[in-house]
Amino acid sequence: MTAASPPIHRETWIEQVKKNLFRNWWSGLITVVLLPTTGYLAYRAFKFFFINGQWEAVQVNLTLFMQGTFARDEQWRLIAQILIFGLAFGVGLGTASGAAHDRADDAGLVFKRSSLADTLKRMWSLVAFIALLLFFASTDETGNLINPYLVVAGGLGLSFVGYQAFRLPRRLRNLGWLLTMVLLVLGFQVVSGFDAESWVPLSLILGSAAYASVPTEMFDTAATRQAVKVLAALGAVAVVFAIYRVVDAPGIGWDEWSGLHLTLMTSAIAIVLAFPLGLLLALARRSTLPALRLMATTYIEVIRGVPLITLLFMGQFILGFMVPAGTDLSDITRAIAAMTLFTAAYVAEIVRGGLQSLPSGQTEAGQALGLAPPTIMRRIVLPQALRAVIPAMVGQFISLFKDSSLLFIIGITEFLRVRTLVHAQAAFRGVAIAETLVFVAIGYWAFAFAMSRESQRLERRLRVSR
Amino acid sequence: MTTEQTPEVFADATRAVGEAIIELTDVDKFFGDFQALKDINMNVGRQEVVVVIGPSGSGKSTLIRCINRLEKHDAGTIIVDGIELSEDIKNIQEIRRETGMVFQQFNLFPHLTVIDNITLAPRQVRHYPKDQAEEEAMALLERVGIPEQARKYPGQLSGGQQQRVAIARSLAMKPKVMLFDEPTSALDPEMIKEVLDVMVELANGGMTMIVVTHEMGFARNVANRVVFMADGQIVEVGPPEHFFTNPQEDRTKLFLSQIL
Repeated sequence: MTAASPPIHRETWIEQVKKNLFRNWWSGLITVVLLPTTGYLAYRAFKFFFINGQWEAVQVNLTLFMQGTFARDEQWRLIAQILIFGLAFGVGLGTASGAAHDRADDAGLVFKRSSLADTLKRMWSLVAFIALLLFFASTDETGNLINPYLVVAGGLGLSFVGYQAFRLPRRLRNLGWLLTMVLLVLGFQVVSGFDAESWVPLSLILGSAAYASVPTEMFDTAATRQAVKVLAALGAVAVVFAIYRVVDAPGIGWDEWSGLHLTLMTSAIAIVLAFPLGLLLALARRSTLPALRLMATTYIEVIRGVPLITLLFMGQFILGFMVPAGTDLSDITRAIAAMTLFTAAYVAEIVRGGLQSLPSGQTEAGQALGLAPPTIMRRIVLPQALRAVIPAMVGQFISLFKDSSLLFIIGITEFLRVRTLVHAQAAFRGVAIAETLVFVAIGYWAFAFAMSRESQRLERRLRVSR
Repeated sequence: MTTEQTPEVFADATRAVGEAIIELTDVDKFFGDFQALKDINMNVGRQEVVVVIGPSGSGKSTLIRCINRLEKHDAGTIIVDGIELSEDIKNIQEIRRETGMVFQQFNLFPHLTVIDNITLAPRQVRHYPKDQAEEEAMALLERVGIPEQARKYPGQLSGGQQQRVAIARSLAMKPKVMLFDEPTSALDPEMIKEVLDVMVELANGGMTMIVVTHEMGFARNVANRVVFMADGQIVEVGPPEHFFTNPQEDRTKLFLSQIL
């Protein structure tokens, strides 16, 4: 028996136009008004981009936009950073993909691995921006970028190599995560330098990894096991410390960064610092200790009531009174501190929203099982609350990224302020103002849009697993 | 305090069969001005199954939620297995480890797989190694009849399966007492039986149980005693055969006539 199929009616294009553009008199009116307007704007945009635009202002200064006043003869550090971050990106993506595959297998679901090509398609705004950079670079006669095609190809190739981490067997999955974090630190420090004082981030990572992974089954008592774990962690820290002591190769600290590089790095640093701080503030605000609660609430409400630019100015002029005399803080350190403190307050409110959205039955179930309150928070409440607020959190991070352009006003040469350097040049004084502005806008948009797309995807994926 | 006409049945039935594992004495509970529990006196013996019935809002759920301190009682004493419930958090956690609870809404942890739901507490509280915890969890899943679902997430299971996982999760802590808060009220009719079957098996295995439910069949067949509550008070207590065939109080008769 064949099931009756619904009657098929294929619409002709005339019917489609009628349905979509001239459904009734007012939709027809809107079409009649909008169509020529859009057409005219498209025509003007086309002329601006492809005929009249004086893009030499961007072409010639591409390096300036990318790295600003960063020392040219140290440029290899930035190249190395791009390559290492490319590898880290690949390893992280591959590990996440492998972990997702494991979970799907366990739950008896079909898993479709997204290829690296899919990932690039998802981040099309970034790909387009990089393509634009390459296009400009290839037509730049001064040729002062180290072969840009090679850099992009190297970054892509390394991320592809790193992506193979999805092949790691399940028991080595954590190794993939560890490698990602180590690479991120190394990529950061290849610019900022491996001087003796910069041992902390890597030793935190390797120390906690040693603590978590050292085998302790052969020891009988819990106390011995704990002692062995702590010893292993201390051992890892000591080794990292010693290595940094020996290497002690200074680099270029963030005080001397600028351009798009500075914009990306300050935003990333502020995000990485603001997240844990905001989390702690949110927990403090829900604490049962009144003093702690009051302090957290006051902090959050004060910060949220003040514009970021005010905080940035205060960072420049007032922070000096709060730190011990003789502490020399650079402008950029102060700016990062202000951005972090600002964003932490918003993160705290977002997390609090997530905590409140969780049904009380979850906590009760944990209590009824006899779990301790910190365990309930760590294993039951937070994982669910944080998942629920990913979109809001990423939204906050995107606005932090864009707000980093306010560093312009306190005299830091971030991405946007590079324009003033460009237009100070004799050739571009008073010309191509729109072109450089549009270029900078495209740069911001490319990153912000990629972040937003990535958060949407993460949200969908995490919803699937519940 | 008016305890004027206390029928003989009531006085006898508050006493547990054999040694008491749970003793409630003069327990009061207020929500603001509303008194949810009035003067509750009740004992539950080891291996006894007590079913609590009554109209909604009569304080049944509040009663069992007081026993593991999900609600704090305002007066009277509650003793579970020799430990008196007090403000001391150590004390409370001790009692919670002795008492398992099954909720109307299951309250499984949606971000964890079934097996992780079950092993979470044994590993965190009892510090079992992973292998041992998972082995015991699998045995419990066998017992509730769904070992093949171990690696799935709660959202992939039917309501009846979820509630059976919730029972297994409670049992994983090897509790001495199980509290059931309307365990079948949120289930589709065709799934009620699979959950009741597990509960019957549990009762036959000698578990001490306090069950708040509207399943009169379960009360009739499994309960050692039935407690009828109304308006925050225990109105009548008795063995099921006596309770269903020859209720003493008018309030009980009215309730039974409405539901049977």
